[in-house]
Amino acid sequence: MWKDIGGREAGQIRPNSFANRVKSHRLSTLQLSNYKDIVSPHKGSINSLQVDLTEERYLLSGASDSSVAVYDVQRATDYEGGGHIAKHRSVFVVDKQHEHGHKYAISSAIWYPVDTGLFVTGSYDHYVKVWDTNCTRVVMNFKMPGKVYRTAMSPLAASHMLIAAGTEDVQVRLCDIASGAISQTLSGHRDGIMTVEWSTSSEWILVTGGCDGAIRFWDIRRAGCFRVLDQSQSQLGRRPPLLKRKRPGYKFVRNGPLVASMMVSISKSLSAGQNSSVKPRAPQKRSANGNGVRQSSVGRIPAKGSVRQRLHPGMLSSQDRATAHYGAVTGLKVTEDGMYLLSAGSDSRIRLWDVESGRNTLVNFETVRLQTSKPIQLATTQDPAVVFVPCMTAVKAFDIWSGKTCLTFRGHYEHVNCCCFSSQDQELYTGGNDRQILVWCPSRLISDGVDAGPMQDQDNWSD
Amino acid sequence: MNKDTNSDSSKPKKRRRDEEIEAESSSSDRTLSLEENLTFSDTLVALRIMRAQFPHIDKVSIRPFILQSQLYSSVNDRTQVDRELESLRRERVLRVFKLNTGQDDHAIMFLDDYLNQIECVVKRMEEKKQVNLEVFEWFQTHVLDSKLEPSVGHEELVSGSDCSLLSIVGKVKDEHISLLINAGILTRQLIDPDMYWFAIPNIGSVLKGLSQGRKEILSFLNRRKYKEMMLALLEKKHLRFSPLDMRFHLRDLIGSGHLKTIHTPTGLVVQISKD
Repeated sequence: MWKDIGGREAGQIRPNSFANRVKSHRLSTLQLSNYKDIVSPHKGSINSLQVDLTEERYLLSGASDSSVAVYDVQRATDYEGGGHIAKHRSVFVVDKQHEHGHKYAISSAIWYPVDTGLFVTGSYDHYVKVWDTNCTRVVMNFKMPGKVYRTAMSPLAASHMLIAAGTEDVQVRLCDIASGAISQTLSGHRDGIMTVEWSTSSEWILVTGGCDGAIRFWDIRRAGCFRVLDQSQSQLGRRPPLLKRKRPGYKFVRNGPLVASMMVSISKSLSAGQNSSVKPRAPQKRSANGNGVRQSSVGRIPAKGSVRQRLHPGMLSSQDRATAHYGAVTGLKVTEDGMYLLSAGSDSRIRLWDVESGRNTLVNFETVRLQTSKPIQLATTQDPAVVFVPCMTAVKAFDIWSGKTCLTFRGHYEHVNCCCFSSQDQELYTGGNDRQILVWCPSRLISDGVDAGPMQDQDNWSD
Repeated sequence: MNKDTNSDSSKPKKRRRDEEIEAESSSSDRTLSLEENLTFSDTLVALRIMRAQFPHIDKVSIRPFILQSQLYSSVNDRTQVDRELESLRRERVLRVFKLNTGQDDHAIMFLDDYLNQIECVVKRMEEKKQVNLEVFEWFQTHVLDSKLEPSVGHEELVSGSDCSLLSIVGKVKDEHISLLINAGILTRQLIDPDMYWFAIPNIGSVLKGLSQGRKEILSFLNRRKYKEMMLALLEKKHLRFSPLDMRFHLRDLIGSGHLKTIHTPTGLVVQISKD
């Protein structure tokens, strides 16, 4: 470490690589914290954790007993153990007794991305509520047709304030804070929607994972989804190969995953047979503005025996039944650079998808079993090197490119539901069915008490 | 072939198998087993060796198949296994089938073996004087060639969207599809009512034996005091409910994560993994 600092001083190591080295070293020493503790006032299992996006200082947790609590993770409320252990109690708690509080379990609690003045909660009592943090009052209420599994707001949004809510109903609803009404519904899924995530590269793109096993990409400015991920469409490696010769004897068909077009499942299966070589990339660019232009060479709409209604071209994607997992999709995470998508399914598989090409990169994450009934929350580091996945009672950290397990965090007594990684401090917060929020920090020597409170002045030698 | 220098990741059953290979095979195979070390470096090699070790089952004539979980336990890097399987599948060397025993079970069979299996089924149907047998021809030449995934949709089979599908048969009708399902080549699974899944014919009893054998081994180990047993002793046990041998099941259970192996000074110990 000192050698690195010396190298940085002399200009041998560049600032970014120095910072990355320190961060990855700290990451590799993550363990259950022995100097920091979060005291959870919840009486039910913790379903959602999120650290605020602006300062990474306040942790918001939502639990099954309809309670929401906020903790300050940087300043402790009091100290114990002779000043060594910092206890962080909640700054405030909202529970069932609150006049406008939720009645049933809260499945998702997220901060308003711009500042910590508002937070949004979604609950099994069919409501999505927007709260004012300072007065702890409900500012807005949205009624949903079913249990709300997940809510999400775009961290990049500059022109909209939409909350995407995934419920047990087949439609994704976008609730607008500015107008107080549900402004849009996105249809296409065939079963309830367990996870919703906004893209980290565009404020208009939403990714949803459903109980039918499908992952759909939506551009909210258009009708219908523009991509459905198919697990059989795969590429070997992080990015697809640059140029490939067209294989002779095969017709040029369009790339499989782009489905908002005339031919849905037919040409998809045709191209699936040739998904290795063929495609030059240019015509497959999905245009985010307006309907994508599709080649009319393969534009034969087959006359099927079954009834086909005349659907809006954007809605044809609802007939695409490609699945990304053999069970429900229980967790989704877009990496911060917006290039890759991680999805966890109830078939106990975690898949890494390349967002640009829409293909499965076939990285195999060694998981035995994942929770199947509740949505789980995944976390990644900033340069996506490690992904944290709650696997039953442990949280495992996988190397994202090779799929090998780097670290396993065992500390919870029951199943872990959510985890949240703060990249600023390299700390991992996990919450589970045992009502505890555990903090996993890089290891630190006890004597290194920089922010510990007043410590007794003690000598080390015996006397 | 790369020499795998991690000999501490060895498994005695592989050592035993290598000795077996030396004993029963010719000199060309002997160089294979002496050169390579105890875990495989390559998926294709692992597939070939496991195919050679497929247990002989008396009552059912079935060609060797390999489960995907067995591959995971015999090659170190799972991502490499997945990618090599994908490229082998695209080159039409083998086919992957989704089984209905358990969540993520896939069976891998070499394409020639699969075609042989279909031939056996066709012959049996001919003896029973079935009609419309040309649909099998069509299936082998056209469908298997163009559809490389484990499943195919109803629309794709029935409609003539691609010229190559509108072949000898004319238009594929429902009777033809029923014939294929009766032969056991296509099945339906609960996930989607509109999708047909490719299947290995005559495999039913073997799959039943597979799930029963898995349960038997897991319950046997669960009943023991510390839920573990020495691998050398476990291998010698005979399974009552499964026609497949113990080595097949052990590879499958270790690869799917139900069992884990621990190195001890006296050898490898197999333990139920608690996770």
